[in-house]
Amino acid sequence: MEDMSSSIKIMMNPKNVAIVGASSNPDKVGYSILKNYLDLGYKGKIYPVNIKEESILGLKVYKSVLDIPEPVDVVVVAVPAPLVPNIIDECGRAKSKTVVVVTAGFAEVGEVELEKKLVETANKYNLPVLGPNCVGVMDLGSGVDTLFLPAYKFDRPGIGTLGFASQSGSVAGNILDVIGGENLGLSKFISYGNASIINETDILNYFADDEDTKVLVFYLEGAKRGKEFIEAVKRIGVKKPVIIAKGGETEAGAQAAHSHTASLTGNYQVYDAIFKQYGFIHSNNLDEIISLAKIFDKQPLVTGNRVGLITNGGGTGVLATDALYNNGLVLADLTQESKDYLRKVMPPIVNIRTPLDIGGDADYARFNDAIKTVLNDDNVDVLAIIALFQTPGADSKVAQAICNYSVDSKKPIVVISDGGSYTQTHKKIIESSGIPVYSSPEMAAKSISALINYAKYKEAASKLYE
Amino acid sequence: MSDENANMMDYIEAANLLKKYSIRVVDSKYIESEDDAVSFSNGDTIVMKVLSDKALHKTKSGVIKLDLSKEDDIRTAYKDLIEKSADLKPYKILAQKMIKGGIEIIIGGNTDPSFGKVLLLGFGGIYVETFKDVSMRVCPINEFDAGNMISELKSKRIIAPDEKSENMIKDLLMKVSKLLVENDNISELDLNPLILHDGTYDAVDLRFILKGE
Repeated sequence: MEDMSSSIKIMMNPKNVAIVGASSNPDKVGYSILKNYLDLGYKGKIYPVNIKEESILGLKVYKSVLDIPEPVDVVVVAVPAPLVPNIIDECGRAKSKTVVVVTAGFAEVGEVELEKKLVETANKYNLPVLGPNCVGVMDLGSGVDTLFLPAYKFDRPGIGTLGFASQSGSVAGNILDVIGGENLGLSKFISYGNASIINETDILNYFADDEDTKVLVFYLEGAKRGKEFIEAVKRIGVKKPVIIAKGGETEAGAQAAHSHTASLTGNYQVYDAIFKQYGFIHSNNLDEIISLAKIFDKQPLVTGNRVGLITNGGGTGVLATDALYNNGLVLADLTQESKDYLRKVMPPIVNIRTPLDIGGDADYARFNDAIKTVLNDDNVDVLAIIALFQTPGADSKVAQAICNYSVDSKKPIVVISDGGSYTQTHKKIIESSGIPVYSSPEMAAKSISALINYAKYKEAASKLYE
Repeated sequence: MSDENANMMDYIEAANLLKKYSIRVVDSKYIESEDDAVSFSNGDTIVMKVLSDKALHKTKSGVIKLDLSKEDDIRTAYKDLIEKSADLKPYKILAQKMIKGGIEIIIGGNTDPSFGKVLLLGFGGIYVETFKDVSMRVCPINEFDAGNMISELKSKRIIAPDEKSENMIKDLLMKVSKLLVENDNISELDLNPLILHDGTYDAVDLRFILKGE
């Protein structure tokens, strides 16, 4: 376990890298990988390897890993599957430290013998291999990106605290692209494909210890080493929130998983039980995963469930109240001191109770007074603000007022707001401060509830398991 | 089903194993005569069942007799069972004290090929499949897990209306988890129904499936 974790660490921050199958043809995977290293400003030495070419993108090309003058930290392999075991053998002889096999065409398509040969060769040299059939790793901090997705085709995320691991490369590309478009920054990304040597257990252990990662999103199809997997789940669950998607809920889905990645998709209900047992947040809905990631990434953990709800729309306030109660949350009852203050500053049309409906004409000053009072109220654990930007008073100053409170809040703050382009603009402004904006009260309530449940789990589990 | 049945642990053996883990099982005894049944009853209300590999669905096949307390009724029921069970040989007749009222729950165990023993708690009885109000954990479980298994159920307030009953069920779940972990030969078990009644509980139907060869 220690070994594999430290191998992943090397992959994320290598002092040099070889790309076997590097190509000057922009249609080839071996071109995209090399180009991404160059584009991200990777600081280490890059050694392209290709038998046929002399020079690619201005770099000298080597015929074999064995010709490279020094041992290499990471060898990225993107050559046709039948050639891979031989390349692994060369890596072993060249004393390469780690290998990422991007190539597909192994056990996932029935080439079990070929994969066995890969594993045997790697084991002969005790060589840590990621993949095959994966898109590799990404660490924007160190400028490492083995993904063969052309940069112009997807929104590369910025640097942040969200870790992401995925068995599947396609799910990975999709989620990374979505994360890139949202206000979420990425710490590290690992896709591990067939998990023939480095598997989900190693990756959980790696992320458990990775200080750059605050929250982990994980797409899993199946776990290979059952008991060790449980231990790894338990270990990371007590340290940081993990949002997990697990394919194969229906029997048809499980069959699809088998043909997609050669994985032993276990019994879905047992996986779900393990996730519940050790505090993982289980969701198979992409929108929900992103919503959950947003609240966990930037908002503090709290165990109390009293929500201070402010709204500039009466009906939406009623719907949101239902959503809160349906998700195990309650409306906070404000202290007398807050009530007295609000009575003084709010116009007579505003009823001083929660949800605090500050009126359709609420402007910056009214929002600001309400937010300040409710957020600092001792009876409030979480602040939720419904900001409907279609109303006459709600403008960029309101968005700014909300942002101002994100800085030192010890309580989670979420905003509920939906609408067209004017709203979307303000949503972006608010989210840039780290406060998540949800289109529906339901999603906001679900996310708050998940945050509280995890906080409670962490509090109880840290006494038991740490 | 018939394969599983061939690997089923004998009822009294299963009951004794549960008792070894201080898990309560309703008073039960194999009876071999009318007199046996009457003396087992000793004035209490009893149930008699025919246990045979050929009679999985006792209520459907009519080889179960409920709510017997009068001596005459017990004798008549016994005779009737013998008659109806002629083609179920070999069989045994199990007499149990009858529990009236109470809440039926299920506690079950299974073996997952990769994760090992798992424990299940649910709102039970014959509607367990309909309501699917169940929670699950991998073994071994601790008190924290046991508490969460209860609180995850929609029926939590029915099965554990107060702290005392909650503690009782938590304790019971931990005992079953221990039994599962320590008895590798048992691949599945059903305590269904397990009846919560009068501030205590009793496992009534037991189904322990032994690991195949």
